[in-house]
Amino acid sequence: MALRLPSKVLEHILSFIDSNEDRNSVSLVCKSWFETERKTRKRVFVGNCYAVSPAAVARRFPEMRSLTLKGKPHFADYNLVPDGWGGYACPWVDALAAKSPSLEEIRLKRMVVTDECLEKIAASFKDFKVLVLTSCEGFSTDGIAAIASTCRNLRVLELRECIVEDLGGDWLSYFPKTSTSLVSLDFSCLDSEVKISDLERLVSRSPNLKSLKLNPAVTLDGLVSILSRAPQLTELGTGSFAAELKPEAFSKLSKAFSNCKQLQSLSGLWDVLPEYLPALYSVCPGLISLNLSYATVRMPDLVELLRRCSKLQKLWVMDLIEDKGLEAVATYCKELRELRVFPSEPDLDATNIPVTEQGLVYVSKGCRKLESVLYFCVQFTNAALITIARKRPNLKCFRLCVIEPFAPDYKTNEPLDKGFKAIAEGCKDLRRLSVSGLLSDKAFKYIGKHAKKVRMLSIAFAGDSDLMLHHLLSGCESLKKLEIRDCPFGDTALLENAAKLETMRSLWMSSCFVSFGACKLLSQKMPRLNVEVIDEHPPKTRPESSPVERIYIYRTVAGPRMDTPEFVWTLHKNPEIGVSRLAIK
Amino acid sequence: MDFSNSCSSFSSSSVDSTKPSPSESSVNLSLSLTFPSTSPQREARQDWPPIKSRLRDRLRGRRLLCRGDDTSLFVKVYMEGVPIGRKLDLCAFSGYESLLENLSHMFDTSIICGKRDRKHHVLTYEDKDGDWMMVGDIPWDMFLENVRRLKITRPERY
Repeated sequence: MALRLPSKVLEHILSFIDSNEDRNSVSLVCKSWFETERKTRKRVFVGNCYAVSPAAVARRFPEMRSLTLKGKPHFADYNLVPDGWGGYACPWVDALAAKSPSLEEIRLKRMVVTDECLEKIAASFKDFKVLVLTSCEGFSTDGIAAIASTCRNLRVLELRECIVEDLGGDWLSYFPKTSTSLVSLDFSCLDSEVKISDLERLVSRSPNLKSLKLNPAVTLDGLVSILSRAPQLTELGTGSFAAELKPEAFSKLSKAFSNCKQLQSLSGLWDVLPEYLPALYSVCPGLISLNLSYATVRMPDLVELLRRCSKLQKLWVMDLIEDKGLEAVATYCKELRELRVFPSEPDLDATNIPVTEQGLVYVSKGCRKLESVLYFCVQFTNAALITIARKRPNLKCFRLCVIEPFAPDYKTNEPLDKGFKAIAEGCKDLRRLSVSGLLSDKAFKYIGKHAKKVRMLSIAFAGDSDLMLHHLLSGCESLKKLEIRDCPFGDTALLENAAKLETMRSLWMSSCFVSFGACKLLSQKMPRLNVEVIDEHPPKTRPESSPVERIYIYRTVAGPRMDTPEFVWTLHKNPEIGVSRLAIK
Repeated sequence: MDFSNSCSSFSSSSVDSTKPSPSESSVNLSLSLTFPSTSPQREARQDWPPIKSRLRDRLRGRRLLCRGDDTSLFVKVYMEGVPIGRKLDLCAFSGYESLLENLSHMFDTSIICGKRDRKHHVLTYEDKDGDWMMVGDIPWDMFLENVRRLKITRPERY
């Protein structure tokens, strides 16, 4: 006798399950569970826009209200993916416009979005509420104006680090005079000045506005005026924080900040002059998140600010904070969960090193809740890594970037193998890891063996041979994304571990030793993988052994891509000879 | 120094090798395909260290000015044929693009860099030597070090 849960009961149970990972598991139980689940899923996440076709997604989830999509591989953030590679939002918007008119939220990351696409979004979804574009490009402020003017119930409009063709600040005036629904607005990546009176009026009629991130063109005077109209803000990105210091201006600024009693997150602070930092002191005790990555302020001023931030959980700062400043963070910011330290002089061989491994050790010792680290410095030691692993076994994300490629432990001159072994072994919940410095194959043997929960791994300038890749692909049980650049291996490990690639979202390798022949072979062997060879400067003829510049492999049920540019070779496009027809530039 | 991304120093013998090469603590530097590690001042790269473009541009533009408390660089800007000039803080811009956009906005006309064009206004600058040069040929931070003032030329000039 088969026991079956009535679908209404199952639906009710599923309404308590939000996580997509759980819902994916639910959908695999049996056909009826698959059906009930798909009809009730409201928030859909697609980690690779080429892994599945837009039509299939729209068909499967008829009640979709929110879609999150990612396009280009992560290394595109660092200019490793040539322009024109792909990641177009249009086909998705077209499919959704037809099948999912009740869609309310779209979040895109690293995708190419055009003005036409934005206009289509505005025209197609009557109750559109949320648009978040992160690291996207291809559109202008005209497209933004279309969204602003047409989406009557718009709550969230965030442009995070996008490359936008800025045709001027008019777009802001397109918000209708009757719109009062805005909760979050982020235009920090735009260059042009907006009319401050437009902004003032918009802010005044938006009582639900909680998050506002201004662009550098907004002056301090403008900021004061805005803050006085929106004291309820919980998240603020300031405009430019540099202006001639006048005593009345300063006291007005201080007062404006002290009136914002709910401010929890602060960012922007472009070009902040140290004399203006005291204006922020009143909000410091309540701050949970502080982004100082554009504030080129020296250590003493940073410490004065940070010692007042006892509730701080997230800190992004430049290495100008120095080890001493990080020691202060370890002392005063006991609630710290996430630390990112960026390089202030990325192009120079630092003779005057602002931060060393000691800074991170201080924070690891003093901040018990620390779980996410991104740290740029010039050199490191195994001892420091071992200490960090011992003190902070709760680390979930550890990204260390030793800027000098192949830099060994500067005290012992050994590779950093032992240090990363300690991290992999000790931090059992590690989900994301980036390694750097001098590393031999051994390091990757440890990582493969111990980093059981790592889902994303980034490697640059490391390893000795194919063994490195073999260790990773045959180990790392939870690996989903692997990105590698400038490492000396390729073919053997790749072909031996081809099956692993179907369990992962994607693999990126650039400036490694992967031969064209191996790419072809992999393509032929694995029909459910898309293997893309991305070569901007291909040779005129391609012998099997010739190395490729970049290879991007991802699993897909959508079949081969139809929108590849000239410089991307796929087996589908060039089956017989496999020679890219791109003329050498 | 070759900073190209192509694997031009690749040697074909290691492609089919199934034996791992000996593991040494000092990796053969010729394997560094894109990055010789000895350089007194690293040439400015777009892909290393791995930081996002926005931060990189910002830092490059500001590198000169970090040194002192001097965080602005005001220069005079004239439009040919217009007697009254403007003043502009070049530090407010991350690069040529944002400079041009702002100038175009300020003077309400389209201004371009570098290319001679009968239709558009072209941006030129006077450098430390007193010579008038086309804007856009040299890296932004070098430009900031050399520029004394700006002039927007009329199209017919060229």
